[in-house]
Amino acid sequence: MGTRWRTRNIMLAIANVLVPVAALIFATGFFPYKPFVPGLAAYHVLEYGEPPIPQFDKVIFMVVDALRSDFVYSHSSGFRFTQSLIRSGQALPFTAHATSPTITMPRVKAITTGSIPSFLDVILNFAESDTTSTLANQDTWLAQIKNKRDGNGKLVMYGDDTWLKLFPNTFERSDGTSSFFVSDFTEVDNNVTRHVPHELRADDWDALILHYLGLDHIGHKAGPLSPNMVPKQQEMDGIVHEIYEAMNTFSHLNSTLLVLCGDHGMNEGGNHGGSAPGETSPALVFISPKLKTISSGKESPTLARRDYDYYEKIEQSDIAPTLAGLLGFPVPLNNLGVFIQDFLSLWNDSTDQGQLLLRNALQILDIVKATLPNEQYNGLTSKADCDDDSSPGAELACMWQEIDRDLKTGGLAGPQNEVTLRLLFKFCRRAQDIMSSTASNYDLSRLMAGIVVAILSLILTGLAARNHSVLTNLDGAFFLLNILLYGIMMFASSYVEEEQHFWYWVMGGWLFYISVRKAQKELSVSPPFSFEGDSAPEFLILLALHRITQRWNQTGQKLAGAPDIVHSFWKQYPMLLWCFVALTYFQAMTRIGNHVSHYLKAGTLVGSACAVALCVPAFIFKLAFTASDAPELLVPLMGEGGVALFQGLPLVSTARMIFFLIASEIVWACASRFYIKTERIAKRDLITILHTLLTLFLLTQTRATNIPLFVIFQNQEFILTALALTPTQISVSTLLLGYTSFFAFGNSNAISSIDLSNAYNGVSGYNVLAVGVLLFASNWAGPIYWSEMEHLVVPTKVEQLHEDESPFFSHIALLTLFVTVSLVAVMVACTALRTHLFIWTVFSPKYLYTMAWSIGFHLLVTVGMGGALWLVCGGSENYGFS
Amino acid sequence: MAVAKTDAINVLNTDTAKLYTHIHPILVLSAYYFNFSSIVADPVSSLIKFLIPLNVLQIAYVVICLPATGTAQPPPVLKSSGMKPAVQKKSPKGKSVSLASRITPALLSLTLSLALGTPLLGTILILFGAPLTTHIHHTILCAAHISLLSALPLIYTHGIDTDKWRRIAALMIPLDEVFGAAVGTCIGAWIGAVPIPLDWDREWQKWPITIVTGAYVGWAVGKVVGGLLVKGKVIDLRP
Ligand SMILES: [Zn+2]
Repeated sequence: MGTRWRTRNIMLAIANVLVPVAALIFATGFFPYKPFVPGLAAYHVLEYGEPPIPQFDKVIFMVVDALRSDFVYSHSSGFRFTQSLIRSGQALPFTAHATSPTITMPRVKAITTGSIPSFLDVILNFAESDTTSTLANQDTWLAQIKNKRDGNGKLVMYGDDTWLKLFPNTFERSDGTSSFFVSDFTEVDNNVTRHVPHELRADDWDALILHYLGLDHIGHKAGPLSPNMVPKQQEMDGIVHEIYEAMNTFSHLNSTLLVLCGDHGMNEGGNHGGSAPGETSPALVFISPKLKTISSGKESPTLARRDYDYYEKIEQSDIAPTLAGLLGFPVPLNNLGVFIQDFLSLWNDSTDQGQLLLRNALQILDIVKATLPNEQYNGLTSKADCDDDSSPGAELACMWQEIDRDLKTGGLAGPQNEVTLRLLFKFCRRAQDIMSSTASNYDLSRLMAGIVVAILSLILTGLAARNHSVLTNLDGAFFLLNILLYGIMMFASSYVEEEQHFWYWVMGGWLFYISVRKAQKELSVSPPFSFEGDSAPEFLILLALHRITQRWNQTGQKLAGAPDIVHSFWKQYPMLLWCFVALTYFQAMTRIGNHVSHYLKAGTLVGSACAVALCVPAFIFKLAFTASDAPELLVPLMGEGGVALFQGLPLVSTARMIFFLIASEIVWACASRFYIKTERIAKRDLITILHTLLTLFLLTQTRATNIPLFVIFQNQEFILTALALTPTQISVSTLLLGYTSFFAFGNSNAISSIDLSNAYNGVSGYNVLAVGVLLFASNWAGPIYWSEMEHLVVPTKVEQLHEDESPFFSHIALLTLFVTVSLVAVMVACTALRTHLFIWTVFSPKYLYTMAWSIGFHLLVTVGMGGALWLVCGGSENYGFS
Repeated sequence: MAVAKTDAINVLNTDTAKLYTHIHPILVLSAYYFNFSSIVADPVSSLIKFLIPLNVLQIAYVVICLPATGTAQPPPVLKSSGMKPAVQKKSPKGKSVSLASRITPALLSLTLSLALGTPLLGTILILFGAPLTTHIHHTILCAAHISLLSALPLIYTHGIDTDKWRRIAALMIPLDEVFGAAVGTCIGAWIGAVPIPLDWDREWQKWPITIVTGAYVGWAVGKVVGGLLVKGKVIDLRP
């Protein structure tokens, strides 16, 4: 290898090292870790005396996961009893705006602390064992209630075990349910409901928390219009009824507040995580006979003002300070919520009302001061209007000065009271806006540093690949045009949401291009009227297979929930689905049998035994998993009894056994290449074995409805191999097929499309690393499958390459070029559009996905796993250089 | 691109032909432009109605401007040749072919492009991502428009020889205003898919309006580029 190529190799290596460096620097600036004030809040000492007396002494906090506002308030709701309470004034309804990411853990954080969790919570949500994500050391209304009666407050919790993870050692009694299989609509809720009667009779607790998951599961499984939805709402309404009756019957509950709320909503497809109006609009109802004194009832059912906006719209974080006022404890330290105005009139004394709000404002002021220490909050510079102040900090300081003056002159009592209340509300709302808005949180210098490092990496890649034969031909031009368009596309929010269209579209053009190339080559050498060189059928088959994968899963935002093969076709023809699944496993079995008996020269008997030992448990695992995950797909095949039988199988140990067997055969195959001198396995055969084993692993990590995609992949791969692609064409095809398959699997750039179902295969505890790897493998199964094409397909036009040039170098150079361009584009888009409305909803998730693509996929799979395969297979020797 | 061995199609050597070939795209595009709002409002019936003026214009175009398949073309004259102007002016070829003998192949091309081209292009549209379970009328009409724009003049000038069409499918015939227009139509239709995912929620983003519009614009651009700028060259994608 000449020095010129050595330099280029080093440049490419440095470029790849810089990729994660850039991504992480940028991430720390873009998703800053919000420091929280530790400890428990205590009441400020005020001249107005003791805090106002509480209105309630106990709270029953009933969370119904994904309870969208219309599920309670609309005409088609099943919450008939709750609606009658709203009409009679015993229930006050709200729509509680939930910020993105709309997934349970950050939402519970917002509800309990009153703060707005950072986007990092998404990552921590998936690494739930992480202790930094617990709220044990943070100030929440749970901690405050526990601190009541000199630390003798008692809390009881039933339902989603997220609460148990967030609040370790907090609950007196608890029974957690996990939301592992979303097909479970009943058990998961019955496990909560069965505790309700005896807890209502018990008088020892101060707070009873219930978190029902069934309604969320119905949404994930069949969408908001599922026939199970209204019955489930009626079931939840029945529980509200039961609690309401108990509140009227039992004397120990006569001063109890019932809060019914959703942690987030759901979109038209029944998923959540993003910020579609449906996802961010959960219902919130405060229920108590006492509320009659302040409400004469509201119309119910009613119509939404617009997009799921029913009644008054408040922030989800407002729940914490409202509970603090109603139940009589200090507002949690990190709270940014504002006491809900409607409840003020529960206190007759206007000084009490002012005090409640002032305490809320003082607590928020503490955060404002900590975040913006340079402003002057106590000065007496008089100013008529604060709105024209240049910086948000100056504006808040000005507003507080106004309050300060007002308090000093008139105080809370007397005729000035209303003005003070208005000023306090205005200050709190504005502070909530400013402190939770994103702009103040970015670390711009880190964003810039990240971009600079990414550009450096891009330049190094460009230098390494400059004048390279892979870029200086038509294929290279197509590739460069592709990455240019992709980079531009990253600035348009709708294309980020609908990225699949880009790849499906480019893929169509690419298939046409390589087919025409092939046809021209063949036609220019073959005589007329010979159909030997006819590539039209190949092209049409490739295009048809591509078209089928496009329809496999409807993804993106615009048409979420529209019919597709997975959600419509397989539901109708489950038998056909299982034929394809069985075929896929049977193919894997015959291949493994062949490999072991011939390539590993173990004989037919051992080969068959190995094949059966690997694939039969894998297939049974898939049946057992589906029996729990999507039983409706199996019932037509084996009846309810059969499904119950498969549900009884131990999933964890079966998965572990499959992983162990796959790993052992990999070790065996590699060992027979390196340590067994006699009858060495050929390099190409080894690659083939490893590819089959990897496919079997990916099958284990894939939902049954997506498994037939592998049949399509194998056919695409077969035809593409026959098209005699050049090295550049192989790299470009790998990229395009990787991305199209990613979206065909149902993924998108939204958090809500992450498929968690296979992340716990063979994992019983909370092993972050194992769950991470399995989660990645199940969501990136398609791209991982295609990343091996580089090693399987022998390029025929090797003469195109420079003599010293290794095809693997060119492959990595091209793909690194794509990764660095996409990284730079996404970073610049995120920085330029950081005040844009879509930053949290579209661009932040996109950045997380780009990190996963560039670090997880590019570095670990393409470079890492690909490099290992390249080494195992003895580099270029494999490609027939001689 | 390389210079082809086979010949590019030349416009008939009459003044009418030379004039009309430039007027034709303007006529077609303005007709499309004036029908655009009704196509957006009601794609199916408007696209059906618009097939008639498109048919008439395309027939007129091939009859007036293009040599029908099988009719001998005047030998291409090298531009460097000093004889060129004289030969062109005196050439009686254009007038010697009777109108009837040109109308028949034109109507035949029309029939073929509608009967064969439409289903074939419709299938290809579906394979390229057109909806299959819905909007089937829209897709067929889209295919009909693409077929009339691209296939009709190709059939008229190249006939139905299988081998010739294999070369056409492989883009292996020299570019001229007919083939350029056909390539432009297809590229335009492909690019027409780009605005569909945008969240502008405009009526014209609905299937298949952007595709048809892309096809028309691509057709006109391809016709001009193929007929004037890159005439005689071949799209050579061979490695
Ligand atoms: Zn959920």
